Amino acid sequence: MLPDTTGFWTPVALSADLPAGTVMPARTPAGSIALWRSDSGRTAASADRCPHRGMRLSHGFVRGEALSCIYHGWSYAQAGNCLRIPAHPGLAPPETIRVATQRVEETDGLIWVAVGEPTGHPPRMEGLVPLRSLMAHASVSALEIAAGATADPVGIVWKIEPSQTIRLLLALQEDDQTLIHVMLSDKCSPAQRIAASRAAESLRRAAEALQAKGIAP
Amino acid sequence: MTHDAMIDEWYPVGLFSKLDAGGRKTALMGEPIDVARDAEGNARVTGGNGRPLPVCVRYGHVWSSLGAPQKALFAIPEADQAGRRFVDVGVVRVRCSPLRAVENFLDIAHFPFVHTDILGAEPHTEVQNYKVEIREDEVWATQVKFYQPQAAKSASGGITTEYMYRVPAPTCAVLYKTCPPRPGEWDVITLFVQPLAEDLCDVWPWMALYDDTTTLTDLIHFQQTIFLQDRSILENQIPRLLPLDPGMEIPTRADLTSVAYRRWLKRHDYTYGAQLVAQ
Repeated sequence: MLPDTTGFWTPVALSADLPAGTVMPARTPAGSIALWRSDSGRTAASADRCPHRGMRLSHGFVRGEALSCIYHGWSYAQAGNCLRIPAHPGLAPPETIRVATQRVEETDGLIWVAVGEPTGHPPRMEGLVPLRSLMAHASVSALEIAAGATADPVGIVWKIEPSQTIRLLLALQEDDQTLIHVMLSDKCSPAQRIAASRAAESLRRAAEALQAKGIAP
Repeated sequence: MTHDAMIDEWYPVGLFSKLDAGGRKTALMGEPIDVARDAEGNARVTGGNGRPLPVCVRYGHVWSSLGAPQKALFAIPEADQAGRRFVDVGVVRVRCSPLRAVENFLDIAHFPFVHTDILGAEPHTEVQNYKVEIREDEVWATQVKFYQPQAAKSASGGITTEYMYRVPAPTCAVLYKTCPPRPGEWDVITLFVQPLAEDLCDVWPWMALYDDTTTLTDLIHFQQTIFLQDRSILENQIPRLLPLDPGMEIPTRADLTSVAYRRWLKRHDYTYGAQLVAQ
């Protein structure tokens, strides 16, 4: 998560999990967001609330280069300004109608969202590729105890067997949940990828058990 | 929660036809209540501490109140017209403010997006100007027109439907709409909302229609489809309570009924289920 004085980047999803023309809900420590990718492939993040009637924009739909609310079809550009109000097709929406947006950067197969105003760019994942994401009903400390490793600002480096180390990127969610993005070497064989996926699932089960027993804070 | 004016209003608490001696345990504005039919066949409603609550039976439903209603339940003259079919649709529980459920019922601009290809369809999204007024202390919207692919179970093909809306009580709304088999008459569809809590309600739609051909099952399925589509919206609005602070949400001309409803609620201190100050 690389905190600096003004903000930090948080990994919200794998690029592969957000196809063109779709929207999904995501979370940063600053709140819920609607994360979407336009038909031409550009990613954007906005507050997960349409200012018209408070509907979650993550339930909406993407058409072309705009995100539309599922309730009344109000559509928004990547910059957050309202483009269209279908009930009044002849009306150009005033500039004041807009949703708050957050900066998004996509590198190494990961989608990062800015929390606050970080000055730099998200950390690079040299030689690593994303495998999958999993949600754990467990805190970061429970995951640390289960992995027997300490989290650095970008997550946990975890040796799953003598010959294989993977990196787990951790993104804090609400209600003591943690989103885990599993990253592994781009040289892994299919068998190693399967092993890493299973290891991550075991880790999740172990951390959730610790959390449930109240062993981890 | 302060004691507001809504405590003395009538609320639906169940279908009269479904009552038996065993009773139905439910809730009204946070208080557990019991609704039953006694040995004489009359509806009885009992509050949490066993005290008897006011009761009336009308429009297929049992109505009650935690307070002391100052007047009789609002009139729906069409409920006494011969030739209409009266349909008890049943109940849909929704995790939202009872006031949000009513406001959604008063809205037509969502039809193409939420009730796609039934009550609306793109590109027919425009909401023409309509009239909103307060009549005898009820909110009325008239001359509401909207293009609908299948306005009612009895409709075949798209038509421009005309609507009138009426809000006679804070959690009740009555809709009058063009009646496909009988031009010149209005079908009546109501939304009676039982406030279980400020952010939880049971919605009891009821209908008085001119339709002799559609089966009861089909009529109920049609309405259930519509209300379940609405629920997917109502349970995902933020905040759950209806904001009465004008800065919290942005209305347009299409939302004039909602604007009048919110003002009317505020003026009467009908604030159970409302958020008064933005948080």
